[in-house]
Amino acid sequence: MTDAHERVYCPVCQANFMFVDGWRDGDTVVCPVCGQRLTLRAKDGSWVGDRVDPMTEEEIRDRVENFAKFRGYRFTDVKDEVIEGLVGKQKRFGDFYCPCRMLHMPDYQCPCRPTRGGDVERSGRCHCGLFWK
Amino acid sequence: MEEKIKVYALSTCPYCKRTKRFLDEHKLAYDCTDVDLLDDDKQDAVLEEIESITGRRSFPVVIIGKEIIVGHDEERLRRALGL
Repeated sequence: MTDAHERVYCPVCQANFMFVDGWRDGDTVVCPVCGQRLTLRAKDGSWVGDRVDPMTEEEIRDRVENFAKFRGYRFTDVKDEVIEGLVGKQKRFGDFYCPCRMLHMPDYQCPCRPTRGGDVERSGRCHCGLFWK
Repeated sequence: MEEKIKVYALSTCPYCKRTKRFLDEHKLAYDCTDVDLLDDDKQDAVLEEIESITGRRSFPVVIIGKEIIVGHDEERLRRALGL
């Protein structure tokens, strides 16, 4: 019996989440931390997830839907405008960074680190007003 | 009341768009800088200016005379503009 649980690296939120027994190379899974859909790939004895539909509007819509579902958050009528802003960020700055901030680094990839860390519980909403409690 | 209106915004921010829409709907002239569309060197200078005025880097920022409004706040805009 080994105590080293297998993990999968998520390139979006950079978390290493738990590998579930039965998963196989090529399977599509959802990162339980940020909601990103990933294709499993064995690499150098560990697992990485490749983004499904990378850099598309479908990708970010799927990710935020999954994240909201995990956390029990809701959206408001500003949702489509925030998505439009996220797509604008991807086009100009290379990835889906918070549309209401000027921070273009992995921690501010939507859902951003403050949001993953409980900002919505504390403030009732995330900084950009996409996720609401 | 003829105070100049200055807006600092991000082109991707929905609340910035709402603030601009509000001013447009009231047919008010304003000078707007979309900070994310500036060249890198200018962008840093403007971000520092915004931080020195408001104490943070949140958007939109609307400056009407001595009044500084951070975030989309129609009530405060109405009051500041005498609408």
